[in-house]
Amino acid sequence: MSVKSHYDLVIIGAGPTGLAAAIEASQHDFSTLVLDDQPAPGGQVYRHITQNRDQRQANSYLGADYWLGADLADEFLQVSAELLSESRVWQITRDRQVFFSRQGAAQKVQAGAVLIATGAMERPMPIPGWTLPGVMSVGAAQTMLKTGGSGAEEAVFVGSGPLFYLTIWQYLQAGFAVKAVVDTAPARMRLRQYLLALPALLQPGLLLKGLRWRAVIRRKTDYHVAATSVAITGDQSATGVTFQTADGQRQTIAAAHVFIHQGVVPNVNLTMATDLAHRWHSRQLCWTPRTDMYGQTSVEGIFVAGDGMGISGAAAAALSGRLAARRIVANAKGSPLFMAPIWRVLKWRQAAIRPFLDHLFRPPDEWRVPQDAETIVCRCEALTKADVVAAVALGVSGPNQLKGYCRAGMGRCQGRMCALTIQKIIHDHNGGTEEAVGYLRVRPPIRPLTVGELAALAHEDASG
Amino acid sequence: MKMPAAKDRIIIIGGGIQGCATAYFLATRGQNVTLLEKDHIARHASGVNAGGVRRLGRDPVEIPLSLAAMDIWQSLQDHIGDHVDAFHRCFYLKVALDEAGQALGVDRIAALQKVGFHHEVWLEDAEIRHRLPHLSCPTYGGILVEGDGWAFPWRIVQGFASAAVRHGACLVEDCRVVSLEQDGGGWQVRTTKGLFEAAQVVNCAGAWAAGLANLAGEPAFPLSPYAPMLAVTDRRPGILPAVMGVLGHTLSLKQLHTGQFVIGGGVRAPADLETGRGEVEIPALAASMNLAATLFADIASAPIIRCWSGIEGYMPDNLPVIGRGEQLGLVHGFGFSAHGFQLGPAVGEALADLVMGQQPRISLTPFSPNRFATA
Repeated sequence: MSVKSHYDLVIIGAGPTGLAAAIEASQHDFSTLVLDDQPAPGGQVYRHITQNRDQRQANSYLGADYWLGADLADEFLQVSAELLSESRVWQITRDRQVFFSRQGAAQKVQAGAVLIATGAMERPMPIPGWTLPGVMSVGAAQTMLKTGGSGAEEAVFVGSGPLFYLTIWQYLQAGFAVKAVVDTAPARMRLRQYLLALPALLQPGLLLKGLRWRAVIRRKTDYHVAATSVAITGDQSATGVTFQTADGQRQTIAAAHVFIHQGVVPNVNLTMATDLAHRWHSRQLCWTPRTDMYGQTSVEGIFVAGDGMGISGAAAAALSGRLAARRIVANAKGSPLFMAPIWRVLKWRQAAIRPFLDHLFRPPDEWRVPQDAETIVCRCEALTKADVVAAVALGVSGPNQLKGYCRAGMGRCQGRMCALTIQKIIHDHNGGTEEAVGYLRVRPPIRPLTVGELAALAHEDASG
Repeated sequence: MKMPAAKDRIIIIGGGIQGCATAYFLATRGQNVTLLEKDHIARHASGVNAGGVRRLGRDPVEIPLSLAAMDIWQSLQDHIGDHVDAFHRCFYLKVALDEAGQALGVDRIAALQKVGFHHEVWLEDAEIRHRLPHLSCPTYGGILVEGDGWAFPWRIVQGFASAAVRHGACLVEDCRVVSLEQDGGGWQVRTTKGLFEAAQVVNCAGAWAAGLANLAGEPAFPLSPYAPMLAVTDRRPGILPAVMGVLGHTLSLKQLHTGQFVIGGGVRAPADLETGRGEVEIPALAASMNLAATLFADIASAPIIRCWSGIEGYMPDNLPVIGRGEQLGLVHGFGFSAHGFQLGPAVGEALADLVMGQQPRISLTPFSPNRFATA
């Protein structure tokens, strides 16, 4: 496929948000390009959907919600929007040039408008032993299941959150033996939390589904609720999980495979690297870009939609993608936005359960900062909590200044695995608000870009 | 903050390498020094530059200052103690990749020798390949300076700042100067942290220095802010024991002790003095990447993990401003145009001399603040 040099709309991410936005924009004759990391559309939630749907029977364990993605992907494949798979976007400029790497060379495309639909990423869960071989995130475990149905037998799942229960349920449906589930959600909610959760009653189906998953998990696994002080044991690789049960007993379960999860947060790497304005979302404990109701960010013509603007799930993400696309079209053509208010209501309706889930699975401090001083915080530079705390104590006001005192966040992952932890450690030491502490400054390239790939851009400019 | 009036206080504005080195030399001479920094120490170009510690390739009028600075770098431990481990001496090599580059290099060495400088020497291709067996391309020879190297810039600046404090200097961070007024032979320095009185003021405010000079009532300086860019790769096996450049090009290439390559040199992005934000325009680095991969084919497969920039002030002739201002009790040291890091220690010493009314050991005539004044 030959890529044009200019598109009315360039969408980054082919998950529910990006696909829905592309469908909407195409229907208005907007030239649209979707750039995505993966070989096929679907994003994280509908990963591998165009391959898996051909064996829907054999893959039935993925569940009805997953198959909703098949219709969305089919509709997307019918429209005029172009998809460029295996394209890693590493920088967007404020004048909407989009740079990406594909097949070993860097390329660029000029966008009339940009929609960032890069979704969510898993929150780090730095507990003792989390960097041992044999330990994986639940999201990674689910990815294995979606791409080829592979998984690990006799694994122990540690953590909480919707994706946590869904993945365990899928594992069980797929026929894998799950050795134990160590649920870290706090024992009970406060009254205020119940009140905040009232809108969730608008989505009784989701509530029932959650209860059903839990019932299945409770019946089929060795299930422990309200676990605290969890550690993964082992020297060379994981050998087990040890934790304190709700009634104060210490318990150890042998396991070679441990899957950990503490919820998802917006993937802000691209929005941060583009230097868009962000705010600290104190209910979801994460950063979100500042946007208007359509997803227009602090830079004109750059939009964000879906979980990237705050976690609200796949159904709401698709509506939010449509809404952003509709606004972008309206901006360009001066056309009215008749449907937009209805979609906004629908989107709110689709995310009505969110405040409840946010409170139910809000990670207590114990899961945000290791309790144990010798636990690794920054895995690329092998820095423990004690190392980071010692540097913070020298008089550091934020994560960027911290880098002068220790290399936290300076390694290969550039803080993607530790920035929220580091921020919280500094906050615990200095006080004030987490918003004031701030996030590690994210600089491009936000996806792997080799020296050779970038050098290719020099040849292109020379010849063109 | 309410500071007691002190008739003998010297206020240095700017916590970069120049300001911190000046604070250090003044403090060691027993002066009453207060350094004001609007952000934190080494926040901009001083803390995030390429860290090149080189005499190679300097403008001839800058060479005496650069050589004097190297004397201090060679005894750095005496000044900044443990922070010295941030300085790595090796050699600096600027190779020619074509005949034009070769001519540039050979002519330069001849010109330098004519005026008595012998620190830059010519190396033939065979010697270069002996020193750098992993080099992927033939060269047309190159210029060598033995003993040049690189440093972690933030650590070095912090080293001077800490040493200054040890000798009694006062450091005030998050303190932005809002006005500068002459007051009976001294200065009233109004800041976001209150009023400071000083006998003399040293302007080491980097890219922000022209604005400060303006506050002090000095003639306008033609200083332009830019954000020179750099990129760092993931770790790779060690293949490059030197800092490298290419004659006729602005590449700067080194491999840190971590195995990471730092690639940059001369490529500038826009900078915003108001927000303190330097842009990063990765595509502008493509030519430097191409050159780095030409020198060492292995570098081509290394992932770039970060690009960044730091805000610096540039003068039209790319030479710094070092000298007394028109106003009494005001000394300038800024405009290093992205090659001031190595000079820092010698500049600090020279500015300390000026403040104390002594004759600096290096002539500062080429860096005169009024060289752009219209007659």
